[in-house]
Amino acid sequence: MIDQAPELAEVALQAEEVAGPTLENSGAAAIAVGLAALAAGYAERGIGAAAVGAIAEDDDMFVPGLIMTVLPETLVILALVVVFIV
Amino acid sequence: MSVGASNPEYVNARVRSRRASLFADEDYRKLIRMGPSEIARFMEETEYEREINALGARFSGVDLIEYALNQNLAKHFHDLLDWSNGRLYDLISRYLRKFDVWNLKTIIRGIYTDTDPDAIRTDLIQAGELEEATLDRVLEVDTIEDAIEVLNRTIYYDPLSEAYEEFEETGALVPLENALDREFYEHLLEDISRGSGDEPQEGPEAKYVEFLQAEIDFRNARNALRLARSGADLDPASYYIEGGVLFDQSELSRLVGNYDELVDHIGENKRYGDRLSGAMDRLRDADSLIQFEHALDAALLEYADTLSSIYPASVSAVLSYILAKEREVENIRAIARGREVGLSESEIEEELVIL
Repeated sequence: MIDQAPELAEVALQAEEVAGPTLENSGAAAIAVGLAALAAGYAERGIGAAAVGAIAEDDDMFVPGLIMTVLPETLVILALVVVFIV
Repeated sequence: MSVGASNPEYVNARVRSRRASLFADEDYRKLIRMGPSEIARFMEETEYEREINALGARFSGVDLIEYALNQNLAKHFHDLLDWSNGRLYDLISRYLRKFDVWNLKTIIRGIYTDTDPDAIRTDLIQAGELEEATLDRVLEVDTIEDAIEVLNRTIYYDPLSEAYEEFEETGALVPLENALDREFYEHLLEDISRGSGDEPQEGPEAKYVEFLQAEIDFRNARNALRLARSGADLDPASYYIEGGVLFDQSELSRLVGNYDELVDHIGENKRYGDRLSGAMDRLRDADSLIQFEHALDAALLEYADTLSSIYPASVSAVLSYILAKEREVENIRAIARGREVGLSESEIEEELVIL
């Protein structure tokens, strides 16, 4: 272990030399998509609750309810574009 | 106070769907031409199917309609409490306490007149916050004092015990009933508004407060007009309900003495003046208070509707549904009773609250 100490020190020094930004572009894009997904989830919370309420009163509302519920999912799809352009 | 997050979206969706299945104005026009049994038949094909079928064996005619209406109302309002959570539950339940107040009044009157508990039970509307078991226990007692004792641990205990002393002195039920009413209205605004001038200024809660203030104001106005019209020598202050913006207590006591000034005072108020202008005109030249009271009801309903479109996902839509449902029940009852005693179509139409 002690024999390798100089080499380890060298590796550590080298790593310091190449250290770039803390967050790479792809990492930032991933966070962007994640945040968009979170927002979509929050939006769907309210719509989903309302849709379930409507379906409970009237079964015919199932299809419109489902469509309305997944509409905010477009947020995530648009955010996915970011992944391809970085 | 209940726990958990508020779920206005869910409750709103269900309420709006139910609101859509209320009777339309054309239905009333059809109903006016029917006799009691035809009305029951008509109701059987709508919303009220289950209640009419369940009660059809025991009652008939107008009684059947009336009990079916009450049961349906209780079912729907109970559902509202079932669905809602958190803050929304608090807001709805404190409004539905008006049925608790109604039930307790009915029971107290029943005990006072020595009515059979079963006969009282059919007149109750189980839509409030008090549980059925509590109401059953209140029904079983023989004296009003015991009834109040059963209610200990509910919010009605303290005001009722205070009013009971007065009841013992005078032997009139009025103090007890006033105590119940006052308790209901004073709890309506608690913890939302800390007195006048300190209400929330915007957002759904501000509208909720505004609506409740309107209701309290209309209630005060109605009481004041009745007192002024009947010329009864009663102290207006004992009927005054706090929390409104239209009158304060001294104003009310002064205005009751002078009918014209009272009408002007209501008409000049800037919050309600425009909305009630049609009703006020009618009040000035007509001599029936009933017309005016119906106009007040209609104005309140319209008011609630506006509020529910300003803040779609809030308690306002639920309140407007509660009012609309009550109006429907009252209208159908008025039609059925009116047909029973043989009123003409136009006379019945005057009794209805139609927007």
